Amino acid sequence: MKLPAIELELISKQFGGLLAVDAVSLMVANGERRVLIGPNGAGKTTLFHCISGTLQPSSGCVKLFGDDVTKLTENRRTELGMGRTFQISNVFTELSLLENVVLALMGTVSRKWTVHRSVGHYPELRSRALDGLDRVGLKARADDSVNDLSYGDRRQLEMALALNTNPKILLLDEPCAGLSPSERQGIAKMISTLPRDITLIMIEHDMDIALALADSVTVLHRGKIIVEGSPAEVQANSEVRDVYFGNI
Amino acid sequence: MLNGAILQVINGISFAALLFLLASGFTLTFGVMRVVNMAHGAYYLLGGYVGLAAVRASGSFAVGIVAGGIAIVLIGFLIDRFLLRRVGENHLAQVLLTVGIAFVIGDLSLHIWGGDSLKVPVPSYLNGPFELPGGLIYPAYRLALIFFGAFIGVLLWLLYRRTQIGAVIRAGVDDPEQLSATGINVGRLFIMVSALASFLAGMSGVVGGAFLTIYPGAEWEILVYALVVVIIGGLGSLEGAMVGALIVGLLDAFGRWLLPEFSYFVLFAPMAILLLVRPQGLFGKEF
Amino acid sequence: MSRTGILFALFVLTFAILLPSLAGPFWIGLVTQILIFGLLALSVDLLLGQTGLFSLCHAAFFAISAYTVAILQVRYGLPTILAAPAGLLAGTLLSVVFGVSVRTRGVYFILITIALGYIVWGVLLRWSSFTGGDNGVTNVPFPSVGVASISTQTEYYYFVLAMISVCTLAYRVFINSPFALVLRGIKGSETRMRSLGYRTGAHLYVAFVISGLVASLAGVLYVYYNRFVNPAAASFPNSVEATLMAIVGGSGTILGPLIGSGVILGLRNWVSGFFELYATLIGIVFIVTVLWAPQGILGLFNHLQIRRRSS
Repeated sequence: MKLPAIELELISKQFGGLLAVDAVSLMVANGERRVLIGPNGAGKTTLFHCISGTLQPSSGCVKLFGDDVTKLTENRRTELGMGRTFQISNVFTELSLLENVVLALMGTVSRKWTVHRSVGHYPELRSRALDGLDRVGLKARADDSVNDLSYGDRRQLEMALALNTNPKILLLDEPCAGLSPSERQGIAKMISTLPRDITLIMIEHDMDIALALADSVTVLHRGKIIVEGSPAEVQANSEVRDVYFGNI
Repeated sequence: MLNGAILQVINGISFAALLFLLASGFTLTFGVMRVVNMAHGAYYLLGGYVGLAAVRASGSFAVGIVAGGIAIVLIGFLIDRFLLRRVGENHLAQVLLTVGIAFVIGDLSLHIWGGDSLKVPVPSYLNGPFELPGGLIYPAYRLALIFFGAFIGVLLWLLYRRTQIGAVIRAGVDDPEQLSATGINVGRLFIMVSALASFLAGMSGVVGGAFLTIYPGAEWEILVYALVVVIIGGLGSLEGAMVGALIVGLLDAFGRWLLPEFSYFVLFAPMAILLLVRPQGLFGKEF
Repeated sequence: MSRTGILFALFVLTFAILLPSLAGPFWIGLVTQILIFGLLALSVDLLLGQTGLFSLCHAAFFAISAYTVAILQVRYGLPTILAAPAGLLAGTLLSVVFGVSVRTRGVYFILITIALGYIVWGVLLRWSSFTGGDNGVTNVPFPSVGVASISTQTEYYYFVLAMISVCTLAYRVFINSPFALVLRGIKGSETRMRSLGYRTGAHLYVAFVISGLVASLAGVLYVYYNRFVNPAAASFPNSVEATLMAIVGGSGTILGPLIGSGVILGLRNWVSGFFELYATLIGIVFIVTVLWAPQGILGLFNHLQIRRRSS
């Protein structure tokens, strides 16, 4: 049996008096599409931060492909294959789109330490970056500054950055947030075509998209997992309905 | 030897009192308004010169202190209103802008008051030596300074910890965004805090000028001490300014006594070590 | 660099090469100074323009390397071939040590570099038995390596011009390198860079040491020009002026620091002849630049070019 891509054991995160994540344990199989839902403040993004290494959990254990990475830094986890997008677009606004993707490509290779040659000296970087932009439909704007990009295009670039770190696991934090319906469809389609050798965990509020893309769903409420199951099971669950429609 | 050490302790604490007066304004300006004001040393200098002129004109040290403080409140207000307001929270711009302002104040002061070291006359009842229990003789003024510094420290602490205004200020230090959400008139709060910081700076120039003298360049020398106080104590923390001032004052006194050629090193090395272990200082917020 | 930029640089270089036949010792000395302090400003901008870190201790590296060269040549009689590299090494080692400040960010970093710069200034001033205190070290000879020795101001000028030209070309390669792109990424969003796999602290540290190396080189060039060094070389105003030069010229550009150096030093020399309030003027230049022209001369120029192209 293949090792699960992600295994969380009793992850808790405390901020002063607030217990944002409360003893969460979950397992995501290799290649699975898992969606994380829950009302605002449920602790979804905090949980992501614990998985990606942006934050250290107060207690508990994070395993990637069976290896305990809890003590590893964020950049180390990326080297091991963890990629993520951010809820609020975290792209390099003063650089060109091409430079953005080049940075994503260089993140896990030793090229990033070269001081004595120009970037242009490495044509494969440019061509791979252009391919990366092409996948998200932004190839034509490669040399434009990110400042000139619309919000929807920035979300696409956000995806491109994560995809070009050669990830084996992708954490997508509300990839459709703030997008128009047609833009959402575009992103959803792109996510659905991602190869199965990448494991996906997605936080998403748009139920239609979430349930269409998911193999299984985990519902978080006040830092705890309340339900886990297939999309149909979760949709039918009364506790979930209570949480979302206010019968708490 | 013991007498020497005791003397240095008093030296250190009296210098700490002065440093606290200056550093407390600097740290509050950052804590509340997120402004790094590198002209704070120049405020000290100018306050000292104005206070000196006031003492000469009126014959009263108290008048000098108040005059020095008020002069800086006025100048500080103009600088805030017309210059600092334009750079917002851009720390790099704040530093450059206020360094430029300090250059202007320092140079103009040089041309008005000349290059000699000037001493602010001390009131006659504080002039001269004072005999401590145990037979040690020590300048009365510096002893008085310790009490004055402690007095101001207690006042500030009460204001900060025991009044409503203090609670508002502390809330602003903790979470500036929340502050505007509480409905408080943030603009007026800033003016008040800034005026307090300016007054303290100007006043400390008069107080310091009475035993350290005032001279061109003093604004940078004193500012560095204030910076070390604030780095050790933690930016934005009043308690940090108190503890930091004591540490810096004592290190400076003992450093000059034991290793005069390396006194600066004695002062800064602990700061550097603290930085390695705890970059935000003793009482500062983590970043 | 654009075509206009390259043409401009060539024009200035030609003028600089012809300078000694066009003007007298005062101007040769002034331009030598402009070049040397332009290199110091460049070292500051390597951090400021590429990483966003604002260091105010670079005069310390400058001064330590200058003092090392001076003391070794004057007091211990060491030849240039040993003294100059030793000076360079001393300043760079100091930046290796001071690089710990890279553990902090933003305003803390600024304050800590200010304090570190003051340590060096204070030690140079107070440790007078070794450093000469206020009086500094005098009678530094011109550099000479074996047969090749410099004996006139004009010869040294050409040497400095050659060094700065090489440094400028090297800086151009550096700015276009993958490493510098990483620095600009960190400047843009350090959190994003970490999530992309970068050890951002390590990159910033290396950048700090490289900039310390450049500042040390400026210090070595300085002491052979000035033939004298005193604690003022390590002073806070010196670090601040270097930063101002970088900003006035245009932070983040290749030629900005040199242009800024020319403007500030030119201004000082022109004005101090008839105007006593030089420091006030510099203070006003600070204020005006920060409030109304933070992108500097080259920044303004680029901005106008973009406006012209789009209309």
